[in-house]
Amino acid sequence: MLSNITIGQYFPGDSVLHRMDPRAKIIATMIFIIAIFFADSLVTYSIVAAFTFGCLGLSRLPVRLVWLSIKPLWIIIVFTLAIHVFTTPGEYLFTYGWLHISREGLNLGGLMAGRLIFLIVFSSLLTYTTSPIRLTDGIERLLNPWKRFGVPAHELAMMMTIALRFIPTLLEETDRIMKAQESRGADFTTGSLLKRAKNMVPLLVPLFISAFRRADELAVAMESRCYRGGEGRTRLKELQYSQLDTYGIGAVVLVSVVLAVLRWGFGI
Amino acid sequence: MSIQLEHVTYTYGQGTPFEKTALYDVNLTIHEGEFVGIIGHTGSGKSTLVQHLNGLLHPTSGTVTVNGVDLVGKTEEVKQTRHKVGMVFQYPEHQLFEETIAKDIAFGPKNLGFDEAEVERRVREAMQFVGLDYDTYAERSPFHLSGGQMRRVAIAGVIALDPDYLILDEPSAGLDPFGREEIFGEIVKLHKEKGITVILVSHNMEDISRMANRLIVMHQGQVLLDGNPIEIFHNDREKLQSAGVDVPPLSQTLQALAERNIPVNIDRVHVNEAVADIYDYLKEVHHAK
Amino acid sequence: MKQVMISTDHMSHVYQDEMGREVHALQDVSVHIHEGEFVSIIGTNGSGKSTLAKHFNVLLQPTSGTVTILGMDTKEEHLIWNIRQNVGMVFQNPDNQIVAAIVEEDVAFGPENLGVPAPEIRSRVDAALAAVNMSDYALHGPHLLSGGQKQRIAIAGVLAMKPKCIILDEPTAMLDPKGRKEVMDTVYRLNKEEGITIVYITHFMEEAALADRIIVMKQGKVIDEGAPKDVFMNVDTLKGLGLDVPVPSEIAVRLQEQGVAMPKGITTNEELGEAICQFN
Repeated sequence: MLSNITIGQYFPGDSVLHRMDPRAKIIATMIFIIAIFFADSLVTYSIVAAFTFGCLGLSRLPVRLVWLSIKPLWIIIVFTLAIHVFTTPGEYLFTYGWLHISREGLNLGGLMAGRLIFLIVFSSLLTYTTSPIRLTDGIERLLNPWKRFGVPAHELAMMMTIALRFIPTLLEETDRIMKAQESRGADFTTGSLLKRAKNMVPLLVPLFISAFRRADELAVAMESRCYRGGEGRTRLKELQYSQLDTYGIGAVVLVSVVLAVLRWGFGI
Repeated sequence: MSIQLEHVTYTYGQGTPFEKTALYDVNLTIHEGEFVGIIGHTGSGKSTLVQHLNGLLHPTSGTVTVNGVDLVGKTEEVKQTRHKVGMVFQYPEHQLFEETIAKDIAFGPKNLGFDEAEVERRVREAMQFVGLDYDTYAERSPFHLSGGQMRRVAIAGVIALDPDYLILDEPSAGLDPFGREEIFGEIVKLHKEKGITVILVSHNMEDISRMANRLIVMHQGQVLLDGNPIEIFHNDREKLQSAGVDVPPLSQTLQALAERNIPVNIDRVHVNEAVADIYDYLKEVHHAK
Repeated sequence: MKQVMISTDHMSHVYQDEMGREVHALQDVSVHIHEGEFVSIIGTNGSGKSTLAKHFNVLLQPTSGTVTILGMDTKEEHLIWNIRQNVGMVFQNPDNQIVAAIVEEDVAFGPENLGVPAPEIRSRVDAALAAVNMSDYALHGPHLLSGGQKQRIAIAGVLAMKPKCIILDEPTAMLDPKGRKEVMDTVYRLNKEEGITIVYITHFMEEAALADRIIVMKQGKVIDEGAPKDVFMNVDTLKGLGLDVPVPSEIAVRLQEQGVAMPKGITTNEELGEAICQFN
C-alpha cells in the first residue's frame, strides 16, 4: 500500500541533537562525512564508530533506527563488499573455479562497506533529528551567501517546502486513480516491462493533470496571501545559532583532526 | 444472484504502528435489483466497505462473494466476476486520460478483451445512457467539457463494462443542483431500464430517501441500521443522530410540525405531498370554525 | 452609514475561451458590500459568482467598469498588496491552498510574506488558530486532517493577515455535512464576534440563509438582491435557476399560492409551525 510509505524520516524529540541549529547540523554532517574517509585502520574506525554511536545516544533515538536507515540501501552495501572481496588480488584464502577471495579483498571490502554504513547512519541522524521544514530553512540560509552568484536559494527552499507538503497528497491520489483504473480492468502488476510501462499511461496522465491543476490553484492561493518571492519575508521561527552549535561543530572538527593526525601523523 | 459479505473485518496497515481497523465483522447481502443507499460520516467505514465489493480490498478475515464467487485470487473466473461490479469513485472525472471521449469510454471494455465491434457498440450505448450524443462528442477531448459533462463521461466509462452491480461514491459531489438532478436522473434510469443493482454512497440523506429502497447506515466500522429508508427516519431518529447523520430537511420540517400537533404525514419525501397534507388540515380547521 | 468595504461600478469581465470565442463572464455588475456585513452570493456553476469574487482579491481585473476595495481602485498596481492584506480569500479545494507541511507554519505564511516580525507572527498564529478552534492541531501535518479542519486552517491562514474582510469561494463544496457545519459555524462566529465582513459564495441554500443579504447571479448578471427571507419568496425563479429553496420557505409559498394567508418571509421550521398554528 502506497499510503504506508512515510516521507521525511523525522522523529520528533527534545534531545541535544534535536535542539541544534539545522545549519550547524548540516555543516557538522558534511565535515564528518569527509572525516570518515580519513579512517582506514581498526583504531581510526573505532573512533568513527564510537563518535557515530555516541551521537546516536545523544539523540535518544532507538538503536533499531540504524537498521532502518541501512535497510533500503543494503544492496549497494553488499555489492560494494562483493566487488572488493572478489576482485582484489592478494593472498587467496578461498578459491572456487575463477572465484578468489583474498585477505586484502576482505580488508578492503570491509573498509569500503564500513565507510558506506557510517556515512548512511550519520547522515540519517541529520534527517531523523531535524524536521523537514527546519532542514529546508537551514539549506536556504546556508545558500543565501551564494545568491549573488545566481543560486536561487529562496526558490529552491520554497520548492522543497511545497514538495514536502504535497507528497502525501499525491500518493493518496495515485492510490485512488490506480483503484479507479483497476476497476475498469487496468492491470499494473503483470506483463513484460514494456507492457507495464505502457499500462502506466492511464495512471500517469490523470496524475499529471491533477498535479498541474493543484499547482495552478496553489499559485493563485499563494498570490492571494501576498506571496511575492523571498524579498522582505520574515519567518515564524528564526534560526537561532547558540553555544550548543559551537560545541557540536567543535566536537566534529576535533574528531576529524584526531583522525587526520592519526592517519598522516602516526600512520595509523 | 447477490453480493454476500460474511464476517468481514478489515484492518489497514496490519503489523505496522499505523494499524487501524476500519470494518468489524460486517454481514450483509445485497440482492440483485435493489437500490441501496449507504450513508455514514467520514471514517465510518463506508468507503472501505464498498471497495470490498469489487475486490479492490480483500477482507483481513471473512469472505466476500459476488454471484457465488469468492473475490480472493487471480483466476479468470474471479477477474470476470470482479467486473460484474462497476465502481464510480468520488470525482470520477479525475481518472479521464484519453485523447477522445470515445477512446476513454472504450478503455474498460477493451481491457476485458472484447472485439472492436462489441467495444464500439458498448461505447455508443454507454454514451446514450448518460445523454451524450455519439456523433457530436465521440471524437472530442474529454478535457474541454464542463465539470458535469466530464463526470458523465467517467460514469459512461464504467457503464460500458456492462456491470450487474454499480457502486457510486458521492456521484453528485461538487455539482450544483442542476448537475445533481441530471446525474441522479441517469442513475435511476440505469436502475429501472437496465435493471442494474445500484449501491449509492452519499452524505445526502435527501437523495437517498428519494431513490433508494434500502438504507444502510454505517457507524464505527459496523452496520448500525439496515432497512427501508422511510421506516428508519421514522423509528430510528436518535440512532441516526448518534451516527452523525442528518435526516432530510423535509423530514426535519415535518417532524417539527408534528411536534406542534399539526397532523402531517412525516413519511412524505416530496414537498408537494407535504403541502397537500397541510392544505387539507388547514381546510378542516377552517370548516370547523 | 457604515464604511463601504467593496463596491463595483458597472463592472464587466470578458475573456476568450480556448476556441477563441468571447465569454461575457460578468456583465454590468454593480454591488456594494458594507463593513461588518455578511453577504452571500448564490448562483449555479457558470453564473459568474467565482469570477466576481476573484475581482475582490485582485486576482482578476475588470474589462470595463471599476472595482473599489476600501476606497482603493484595484487597477492601481501599487495598492494590490494592501488590498490583498485587507481582503483575504479562502478557496474551494482545501488541499490546494495549504502551502506548508505543518499547520502552524502554514498559518504563518501570510504574515511572513507581509514581513511581520517573528514574535508578532507567533502571537498572530496562536490567535488565528484559537479563533478557528484548531489550536490543538498546530503541529500536525495538514494531510492527516479532515476537509472541514483543512478549511478552518485556510481561514486561520487568512485571519493571521488581520484582514477586514474574508471572501470564501464555495468553501464547503467538497466537504461532508460535518465539515460544512464546522466551516459555517466558524464563519458565522467571525462575522458576529470579530466583526469581520464576510462574502460567502455558495450554492447551498441553508448556508446562504445565514447571511444578512443574498445576491443572486445568473449568466454574469445580478438578478436579485435582498434579505434571505425576501429572496426565498421567489421560489419558482430560484428553482428555475437550478437552486434549492429552504423547505419551510417553499411550503409557505406553495400554501400562499393555494390561497392560504401565510405571512411573508418564513425561512425556518419554527416560523412555519407558528404560522400554521395561527389558524387554530
